[in-house]
Amino acid sequence: MIQSEEDPPKEDNFSLERPKDLSPANESSLETYSPEEVNIASSDEYLHLQRRLILTTLILAALAAIISAIVFDIPTTTSLLVGSLSGVLYLRLLARSIGKLGNLSTKVSKFQLLVPVLLVLATSRLPQLELIPALLGFLLYKPAMIIQVILES
Amino acid sequence: MDSITTAASVVAAGLAVGLGAIGPGIGQGSAAQGAVEGIARQPEAEGKIRGTLLLSFAFMESLTIYGLVVALVLLFANPFAG
Repeated sequence: MIQSEEDPPKEDNFSLERPKDLSPANESSLETYSPEEVNIASSDEYLHLQRRLILTTLILAALAAIISAIVFDIPTTTSLLVGSLSGVLYLRLLARSIGKLGNLSTKVSKFQLLVPVLLVLATSRLPQLELIPALLGFLLYKPAMIIQVILES
Repeated sequence: MDSITTAASVVAAGLAVGLGAIGPGIGQGSAAQGAVEGIARQPEAEGKIRGTLLLSFAFMESLTIYGLVVALVLLFANPFAG
């Protein structure tokens, strides 16, 4: 149960539903958790979301690569895989910069925007890579996010 | 590529990045403000707030990436270069 703004906690313990991954030894005081336990459970939830997003993106990339290898040729599939790996890297960098927000930094880093820049530059310089499949592969993280939102709701 | 096409491509690239970054910039700023306020009010909901912020940031930043890609294509792989 999340406490409302009008009723702030009077002690150091929050009243929460018990998370599945926390297993305190004293079963008698199940309903109260210290702020440290609450923070650990909360950051675990964020880490699980990141892992699910990256896993879904990789599964979608593998499916798209199989379809591309069947329908198109090898350079298209390679470009798609390079783009999807760039998308995973971009997502990881974005998640890291959001994870730092509030604790270590007061603004979100824009470092992750270098990933699509380098991807487009690589496709324009290297003849083995194609632009459109690489961009489509890079944007595969968006269907993964939509799937996650649908699954969570 | 003639000089008019080059000049138009450079101007269009600048406009694509500049105009494309205005909306997501404002949106990301207000979203980050709301998230930090929410985390400060309810630290127990930090994971859920950060997850929602990650999803919304990714969707907002993709608009910036679209403009960035258009600009980079105009600069480095211009389809109008004869």
